[in-house]
Amino acid sequence: MWRGSMAKSSSAGLSALGARVWNWCDERLALSSIWAIAEKKTVPLHRHTFWYFWGGISLLLFIVQAITGVLLLIYYRPGPEAYDSVRSITYDIQFGWFVRSLHSWAANLMVFAVFVHMFSVAFMKAYRRPREFGWWTGLALMGLVLVFGFSGYLLPWDELSYFATAVGLEIPRSLPGVGALIANIVQGGPEVSTVTVQRFFALHVFVLPLVFMGILGVHLALIMRHGSAVPPSEEARPERERRSIPFFPNFATQDLVMWLICFNVLCVMAFVFPWQLGKPADPLASAPEGIHPEWYFMSQFQVLKVLGEWIPGYLGEILGIGLFTLGGVLWGLLPLYDNTSQSGVRARHATWLALIALIGLLALTIWGYAGL
Amino acid sequence: MNYPVWDVPVLGGAWVIAIIAIIHVLISHFAVGGGLFLPMAERRALAQGRAEWMPLLKRHSRFFLVLTAAAGTVTGVGIWFSIGLGSPAGTSALIHNFVFVWAIEWVFFLVEITAAAVYYYTWDRVSDKLHLAVGWVYAVSSLWTLIIINGILAFMLTPAGAWLDAAGTGDEVRTLWPAFFNAEYWPSLIARALVAISLAGTYALVTVSLLDGAKHGDLKESFARWSSRWVLPGFVLMPIAMGWFVAALPEGAREILALGVGSAGVGAFTQVTRAALYAAVGSATIAPIVLLLVWRDARHLRLSHALAVIGLALLTTGASEMAREMLRKPYVVRGYMYSNGLLEAAVDTPEERMASYLANSPWVRPAEAQAWASPVSSESYQLDRGELMYRGQCMACHTRDGYRSTRRLLASRDRDGIQSILTMLHERPEDSPYNRYMPPLVGTADEIAALGDYLFEDTTVARRAYLKKEGLTEDESVAPAEPEAQD
Repeated sequence: MWRGSMAKSSSAGLSALGARVWNWCDERLALSSIWAIAEKKTVPLHRHTFWYFWGGISLLLFIVQAITGVLLLIYYRPGPEAYDSVRSITYDIQFGWFVRSLHSWAANLMVFAVFVHMFSVAFMKAYRRPREFGWWTGLALMGLVLVFGFSGYLLPWDELSYFATAVGLEIPRSLPGVGALIANIVQGGPEVSTVTVQRFFALHVFVLPLVFMGILGVHLALIMRHGSAVPPSEEARPERERRSIPFFPNFATQDLVMWLICFNVLCVMAFVFPWQLGKPADPLASAPEGIHPEWYFMSQFQVLKVLGEWIPGYLGEILGIGLFTLGGVLWGLLPLYDNTSQSGVRARHATWLALIALIGLLALTIWGYAGL
Repeated sequence: MNYPVWDVPVLGGAWVIAIIAIIHVLISHFAVGGGLFLPMAERRALAQGRAEWMPLLKRHSRFFLVLTAAAGTVTGVGIWFSIGLGSPAGTSALIHNFVFVWAIEWVFFLVEITAAAVYYYTWDRVSDKLHLAVGWVYAVSSLWTLIIINGILAFMLTPAGAWLDAAGTGDEVRTLWPAFFNAEYWPSLIARALVAISLAGTYALVTVSLLDGAKHGDLKESFARWSSRWVLPGFVLMPIAMGWFVAALPEGAREILALGVGSAGVGAFTQVTRAALYAAVGSATIAPIVLLLVWRDARHLRLSHALAVIGLALLTTGASEMAREMLRKPYVVRGYMYSNGLLEAAVDTPEERMASYLANSPWVRPAEAQAWASPVSSESYQLDRGELMYRGQCMACHTRDGYRSTRRLLASRDRDGIQSILTMLHERPEDSPYNRYMPPLVGTADEIAALGDYLFEDTTVARRAYLKKEGLTEDESVAPAEPEAQD
């Protein structure tokens, strides 16, 4: 009996202490108003709910990037010592290989997750009014993720990263008039060199994270404001038949489970396929046979390669860049074209555009690898 | 010649054993934990008047019976087939030492399977008290199978000093108990019991996830929550059990575990560290995943959720078993028999290692042994001798073109480079990094030269691809530096 009443009074004491701490923080941080928003927010529950997790997965992978990036910063030295510092991280420093593998694999998985998130938003038409700015900030974030990938790829300054960057920078160089100037500014000179490494390092570690977090904040605020969109198949059901769950704690709990599963997948990749380091970059050497960019740039690379073969010279390059730019503009204008659930034929066009974009990207990527 | 040396392309015999064994471990540990889970759940249901639990438990016991009695049995027999083919010398050594221990285990196994079948088929047909008693018979007999097999598995990693002293004398049976209750017996038994208890709760989620949360919400919630608590003991106590396990490891095994701390570079033996690290990550995250899935929203628990957790459990089990097995490198019974069947005592000194391998190999027909051991000038005969050496001493761990491919590992070496590594394996200088995870190479100078010729010939295509990739010619190829010793 006495143990039971002791337990009851100690738990009552803890609750009172907890309440006092909450009130103290609430007075200063307005926690109640945040809680009120979190309590009210719901997430639609239907057979496509699985796709709502991919934004959170992208966020987790960004957090992993940030943490592992800071750890790598401790030992990485940009410039002429870049290769040696990465060699030391990978082969000397305890668990350096693990932090680097996590960082590299999280980068690739993040690009994948962002693409899945983007296409799921497109197919579920979550860009429609009033979520247009969510779409546009999302596209900006995706662009930044690709620039993150491109800039980070050079930093080890090994053979593969040097030639992949040199090949990649041929694209802006081919722009009429301003191409050479842009390439010079990006490279810090007429060619890719250790000066380029220093520039990309500043971009990768300071400029891009600042810009990314700013836009990410806006993106998340818009999601909180507008909530999760309901796909057309759910919109067609009567309101009384639609189900939803509270974001907090129900969906947030499931989100956390997905994060833990995703972290396991990331660790499996890092442990089974630890990232290695190639030979040091040698700008005087010829490019290795079959040099190609990373998989997320492969489709663009293939378009330029094929058009370059069909239409040799300047015109082919301009056409390729033009096609991708046009595609990107159309993609960005999607919310203005297919704006409401009453879009009718426009809705079908938008779905077709998304399908063509997805199949096109996949087919070009596979074609690119097959041609190596 | 294929039999009796088991040539499995790409995977290698060791991986065939590993795949079957990992699946078996995942099922057999569930058999132990689930054997405890079922009577405890039934007793709770009877004590608390939760009649609605009974149909669910009956369904779970059917799933349990099919999985453990069918799949568990088939994979268990599969282990016997695969180890007999992949490591016949090692299997023979274990049978000769533990045949009666195994016989006892099989008696408990027979009782276990019979009890499992009786438990399921007498549901609603006998009294609650009798039914529960059958469940406890299952639980105890299943636990005893773990208690027994654990001794044999742990023995392979840490055979007792007393047994090692008696090994080969014919007097090993007098050291049965020290061999059985060896240094790793208790930490690994506790670790396996914790895994069994965790798996019991995890597998129960599969059954409960099939319930319709809208129609049977309360039942789904109460059962799922009770099942999820079974992962807690493992989550809390496993770090202690694993700490004890690592502390009880021989120094050589601990050194292998440390190899991958500073590097995961190609050429360095770092798989054990990486497998062990993933086992730790998996173990640490499964419990939070299970608890989060059922904490607030057990009614919406789906089969895909439960299967995702089982998938993680499979990965974690695979990683831990892989790490445990590789910690034994280069032995199959540590300090006694190497992975390729050679006895350490027979090849310990340089003089012993210079004896003919082919004349003494159990895998060469006695009538042909002397002929194979004699050098002959014919090139094809030399290559055939080299292949016999390769099959007998290398294929226990290597494949030609798949896992630990000798073609890939030796592609960057010319003939002298290959000979230098074979010499290092044969002479075993103290600072050789290979000593930690490769057995000594045994044979006369001619036999070792034959092996070198065979390996050089076999790596022709891989070497040409390597030279082309590096822009080198045959004359320019250089043997790479040996991997640095990991301290």
